[in-house]
Amino acid sequence: MILSLAWKNIWRSKRRSFVVMSAVAIGVWSIIFMVSFYNSMMGAISRNSLQHDYSHIQIHHEGYLSDPGLDFQVKNPSKLLEFHSQISDIKAVSGRLIVNGMVASPKTNLGIQVYAIDPADEAAVTNLPSFLIAGDYFTNIKRNPILLSQKLAEKLKVKVRSKVVITVQDLEVNIRAGAFRVSGIFHSKSPRINNGVVYLRHQDLSKLINSTDTSFNEFAYLLKDNESLIQTKKKMEMKTKNLVRTYREIAPEFDMIEEGSAISKQVITVIVMLALLFGIINTMLMAVLERTKEIGMLRAIGMFKRKIFLMIVLETFMISLVSAPVGLIAGFLTNVYFEKNGGMDLSQYAGALEQYGGDAIFYPEIAQSTYFFLMLVVIITALMGAIYPAIKAVNLKPLEAIRKV
Amino acid sequence: MKVIELKSLSKIYNPDTIPVRAINDVSLSVEEGEFTAIVGPSGCGKTTLLNMIGGLDARSEGSVEVGGVSIQDMSESQLTTFRLQHIGFVFQAYNLIPVLTAKENIEFIMVLQNMDAKTMQERSDDLLDRMGIKDQRDRRPSELSGGQQQRVAVARALASRPKFVLADEPTANLDSGSTEALLDIMAKLNEEENITFIFSTHDQRVIDRAKRVIMLEDGVIVSDEHR
Ligand SMILES: Nc1ncnc2c1ncn2[C@@H]1O[C@H](COP(=O)(O)OP(=O)(O)OP(=O)(O)O)[C@@H](O)[C@H]1O
Ligand SMILES: [Mg+2]
Repeated sequence: MILSLAWKNIWRSKRRSFVVMSAVAIGVWSIIFMVSFYNSMMGAISRNSLQHDYSHIQIHHEGYLSDPGLDFQVKNPSKLLEFHSQISDIKAVSGRLIVNGMVASPKTNLGIQVYAIDPADEAAVTNLPSFLIAGDYFTNIKRNPILLSQKLAEKLKVKVRSKVVITVQDLEVNIRAGAFRVSGIFHSKSPRINNGVVYLRHQDLSKLINSTDTSFNEFAYLLKDNESLIQTKKKMEMKTKNLVRTYREIAPEFDMIEEGSAISKQVITVIVMLALLFGIINTMLMAVLERTKEIGMLRAIGMFKRKIFLMIVLETFMISLVSAPVGLIAGFLTNVYFEKNGGMDLSQYAGALEQYGGDAIFYPEIAQSTYFFLMLVVIITALMGAIYPAIKAVNLKPLEAIRKV
Repeated sequence: MKVIELKSLSKIYNPDTIPVRAINDVSLSVEEGEFTAIVGPSGCGKTTLLNMIGGLDARSEGSVEVGGVSIQDMSESQLTTFRLQHIGFVFQAYNLIPVLTAKENIEFIMVLQNMDAKTMQERSDDLLDRMGIKDQRDRRPSELSGGQQQRVAVARALASRPKFVLADEPTANLDSGSTEALLDIMAKLNEEENITFIFSTHDQRVIDRAKRVIMLEDGVIVSDEHR
């Protein structure tokens, strides 16, 4: 009876109830939308830098971190190249020789990092060829091909087949310069690579600096999946004296992104729920104060305080909870819509997004648990919103009812 | 059998600031089956007296016994139980829950009493019938006339099987036709079922129907007349 009375009571002021219900539905929907959007953006940023830049695991000489260059090369490199035949979780490996240097065109010269790689291995790990926007992947130029990012190519004012000069220091700290021809121009998803990495073939750099074909200072491993990350790292550590690090250890921003995601999800939720909370309290207080006489009468004829309390709490619950599923479903459907229809296209803002390594197309991402979390949050909000009006109602004096009309 | 026994009852409002002696040393007893009107000019203390009898307001001095039980020292929740189990209330207005139908309003108090569904059904149907509002059973208060609303209120008051019914100016908002009809029903219930009614009123037509008339003036009983 109290349940049905509460249900009937919430329809007394249809418009007011409708406003609260819509607010709850819209609030829940907007949280889902914003969280999905944010997750999508952050997910793209971390995926891009994982897939196209850091890879899952990297191996260096332990001295390399404090002194990156040719002095600290990976120990026993041929063994590291065989890892993926021994550790089944490894999908691909790319050995790199990385040196700092300069690239010069007739127009200008720029400080860059030279990545000397095996084209096939690098392709298998970072999918570098997929980012080519002009030229091709080392094959069109016979001697000394080089890949430049679009950004560098524009600064240097060079095109495919243009000549550039690479200057580096060799092991004996002599300056070495070599002429290279632009084989391809790429546009990576990693801002770091776009801003200052050029790719040469390993053998070409080796020749330039009189090094061997087996000199590397970095190995990047792509795993079959992320799950085996720690396990694989441990296996590797047992087999090598070099420093083995996961992408999380290399780039703390991955953790920051994840933490940031969690925090922003909480902040969004708290802000929306606070707004709803005040809306709910306000509405329920109005509902109670309007019914002062009636509630007094109920107390007078013998309705217990706890039943009055229960009635108001139930009303608050109903008014806040009936529409929460609507918001949840709307949020879910919005996500499904964008998934089915090729994501949300924000190419207009692609420039800004790319600066942070994001994608222009958003595929909403949200954990299933977020829906349950939200339902729980709405329930808690409703409960908090119910308490004050319910206390107000309980403290009304029964005498109010019989006093003059 | 005595249903109400008041001894030297007083009520002082605002005892700390500007004390108002709304009821002053009233002693009174009411027997089962009475049909008693409390009358007197506005402000004489009728409502105050009924509220103290009904356990809605605390007395300042003296004692209130209902059905042989003193209620003056009861806790708030004991008083709530007491009102629910033993007293039927009819107020001047705002008697009914606007979102419930006539029948549901009558049943509501029985739900509060945890009466079983079958008894509840039978009782509400029977009361609707006796109040002559059977056809209005599924209407909400807003769809009923003032007189019909008051009849639902009387039915609700009786539904809980109280020791007596307290009615504070039950006809104040009614036209003369509805007043007559309501009084007819109350008088009939009193005659045929020996239900005790205590009501306050200004209305001479209502006073004329009472079997006992207690006249208050400035919180004091000035006459008590059995007819
Ligand atoms: N809550 C209160 N605080 C202070 N004084 C009060 C309060 N309630 C009633 N009074 C005073 O007590 C006296 C009796 O009031 P009461 O309402 O009992 O009169 P009444 O006989 O019911 O009047 P009416 O016929 O107008 O309903 C009045 O003087 C009134 O002003
Ligand atoms: Mg009065």
